[in-house]
Amino acid sequence: MKIQEIMSSKVETISPDASTKVAARTMHDLHIGSLPVMSADGELIGIITDRDICCKVVATGRDAGWTKVHEVMRKDITTCFDDQEIDDAAELMASQHIRRLAILNRNNSMSGFLSVDDLARGSYDLAGTVLEASTPVH
Amino acid sequence: MKIQDLMSTQVESILPTATLRRAAQKMSQLNIGSLPIISDEGTLLGIITDRDISCFAIAMGHEPNSTEVQKVMTKEVFTCFEDQDIRNAASLMEDKHIRRLAVLNHDNSVVGFLSVDDLAHCSHELAGAVLEAATPVH
Repeated sequence: MKIQEIMSSKVETISPDASTKVAARTMHDLHIGSLPVMSADGELIGIITDRDICCKVVATGRDAGWTKVHEVMRKDITTCFDDQEIDDAAELMASQHIRRLAILNRNNSMSGFLSVDDLARGSYDLAGTVLEASTPVH
Repeated sequence: MKIQDLMSTQVESILPTATLRRAAQKMSQLNIGSLPIISDEGTLLGIITDRDISCFAIAMGHEPNSTEVQKVMTKEVFTCFEDQDIRNAASLMEDKHIRRLAVLNHDNSVVGFLSVDDLAHCSHELAGAVLEAATPVH
């Protein structure tokens, strides 16, 4: 099965200059846990998660209204191509101990995200393997 | 297999009157994504997650240095007993679309937590089914 068959292709993004409060509000409204960060010229430059806002903004006493997305986003993004097999994606997630990949098309544009939850729709075994390998967060 | 063979027994908790910032610090330091809220008398009152802090409290403009966790915690906590079979736990998670259960002993004290990650260490099949049923958070 190919990644493009089970990935989430509706990709909402956020600007690096948006506040983390706006990012939190966007994730709340869209029922999602992370947002890709896109520069003004459409380049994927990072990713921000609900956990980043909790641990890097709230825990450190910063004001979410003033702290910008680019200050706390992660810049290391692991990617796959949309025409690769889901087995390849699962193997990459397991080896990197992560639960989500940014998916590109062959023009190197963002075409979606693949999470361990999406993977479960394709194969319980692959999803279980990724969870077992991921960093424990209880 | 019984729940007690697989659950995480290290239960860190927080008081209902602690601030959101304190809860965020604790989750960050302990590398965990949720904390049970336990009263002075040892009663389980609720649970708070990293997502509750960022996507509900911060998104809605609650001040993290003064807002108490009891104001934003989830009061409905699903539980199971430590001597039940893990298949019972997995089907409860599936039915309720959740990824984590508080585990009680027969004195009704919290003795641990069982997450979908814990399940994956024993059965990819059970963990995958729970993920597929869970509320999508991409």
